[in-house]
Amino acid sequence: MENAIETVSLVKRYGARRALDGLSLAVPRYAVLGLVGPNGAGKTTWMMSVAGLLHLHGGTVNLLGGGPFDPAVHSGRVTLLPQDSELPLESRPVDLLTHYGLLQGLTRREAERSAASMLQEVHLGDRLAATVRSLSHGMRKRVMIAQCFIGFPELVLLDEPLSGLDPRETAHMRAFLTRRRGRQTLVISSHNLHDIEVMCDRVAFIEKGRTVRNATLDEIIGASNMLLYRVTAAPADLAPLSAAVPDATLAYDAVNGLLCCRYDPRRDTPEQINARVLPPLLAQCGVIDVSRGDSLEAAYLRTAGDMQKI
Amino acid sequence: MNALRQTWRVACYEWFDALRSRRALVVLLLYLAAAVCNMYWSINLLHKLETELASALQLPASEQAGVVSTALWKSKPFQRMMTKMTQNDLVLRDITGKHPVELIYAWFAFFYTPLLVVLVAGNRIAEEIGSGSVRYVIFRTSRASWSLGKFVGQTLMIGLALMLSGASAYAVAKFRLAGSGTPDLFLNMVQWSLRAWIYSIPYLGLAMGLSHLTRSPSKATVMGILAITLCFALSILIRHFTLDTGWRAFLPHLGQLLPDGHKMLLWRNAAAPLVAGSATLVTLGFCYLLTGYAFFRNRDV
Repeated sequence: MENAIETVSLVKRYGARRALDGLSLAVPRYAVLGLVGPNGAGKTTWMMSVAGLLHLHGGTVNLLGGGPFDPAVHSGRVTLLPQDSELPLESRPVDLLTHYGLLQGLTRREAERSAASMLQEVHLGDRLAATVRSLSHGMRKRVMIAQCFIGFPELVLLDEPLSGLDPRETAHMRAFLTRRRGRQTLVISSHNLHDIEVMCDRVAFIEKGRTVRNATLDEIIGASNMLLYRVTAAPADLAPLSAAVPDATLAYDAVNGLLCCRYDPRRDTPEQINARVLPPLLAQCGVIDVSRGDSLEAAYLRTAGDMQKI
Repeated sequence: MNALRQTWRVACYEWFDALRSRRALVVLLLYLAAAVCNMYWSINLLHKLETELASALQLPASEQAGVVSTALWKSKPFQRMMTKMTQNDLVLRDITGKHPVELIYAWFAFFYTPLLVVLVAGNRIAEEIGSGSVRYVIFRTSRASWSLGKFVGQTLMIGLALMLSGASAYAVAKFRLAGSGTPDLFLNMVQWSLRAWIYSIPYLGLAMGLSHLTRSPSKATVMGILAITLCFALSILIRHFTLDTGWRAFLPHLGQLLPDGHKMLLWRNAAAPLVAGSATLVTLGFCYLLTGYAFFRNRDV
């Protein structure tokens, strides 16, 4: 699959500290990639570097096959929601978005139409004439999200898009971003792993300026090769369970009360595994929940090597 | 071509947004208030002088100012004083034909414009870098287009403010000074506004160039004020300490790098010095801006 972003061995230093320490990351076209990592891991630095806001000390960037970021090539094709960046306070959202659209090469009519429709989309249709200063924090965030989608860019970089939104708007924006899947390439950085899990089809773990893992969400959480059984008590004997599914691997996580069954999806379907595991398991304890794969949080913590510390 | 269009779009938005928001109002009010007050006080002073003169000569005093001014203006002592002030016979010859109102306004515009420019536009770039709002623009257009667009937008803004200040100064003069309500005088005031506008460009370039160097708007304003103070100080130094020999012989060359080194060309009537002066001042403005931009081009935002 062709990549929308290819970054290889990126290095960005702030004094002696390396914010990006040889970070390589590829994002396939039309993927919705979630960037996950601790504070200071380099997620924001990577995004800002990709968008040409930061100057790199090493490495290569290829955006949409057009080389490193160049406004002449990428204007209107790549947009960014930067973190901790205010919009001009005295401007009106509709004027601002129209201006951005014009800079992206839209005609005035297209820019005005796009600005109005995006502001409607983020539920700010009734605040077109208000200045940014008069908007609440959450409203400003919605304008910031709206500006990213003016003119339907091919690649959108979103740094913490849902932080600061109320629950209703969070759900709405999550749905809005999810609808983009398969039509635009999105990279979303967030500490809220539930949001990432809902919106993204790929996930990259970043740690200390490097990519620790970059794979599909299904691969990372094991949705296609793992079933988790939340049980009421620890199974006394795993032997009958192992006998029921001889090709699978069973493990019990006493801390979370989860029985994990890893299987080969080429041999068995989840329904077949369930049919064989559940009867002997129910004979020993109650089963509250069955899920395909782990939560992203658990997968991330496991990858980061923190599982034991919980 | 595309870069030029982008620059123009940034400039138009800067202008449009300033006009719509309170920012432009502040600029316009500053200029208008300063021009009106200056004209009003100058005419009052003129009237007072004329009244005292009439009283000393035991003549009936006029109700309006300006009756004696024309005679005074053409008197030898006054011209000697002007020669001292301008230090340029060619300029003196050109300005002695002007109406006093024009000169009052021109003096005001040339003296105050640099300071007003720095106060009003000196922090525009730093403000956007500091708040991060520049980050929403420079992946849509080049940094050069953004910087230049901001500069052009502010230049247009200052131009409008000067035009309005010229018109308001004319209005004050028309009602307060005898014989100053002619259309010719109005056109001449517009001309002086244009000249002051050209003179403001290097200061605008200097202030906005410096504004690229910092994220703090207040720091940018302070840097701008210090820079114009330094320009004025250097101009005085050059005017009074230039000699034909030694290091002081180089002072006039240094003066060529300062706006004041070319200011007097804008006071001339002939087209050649006016065009040369204008071109040099505009070039200086762009050079100052470019120096700041060179730093901004390579910085993280």
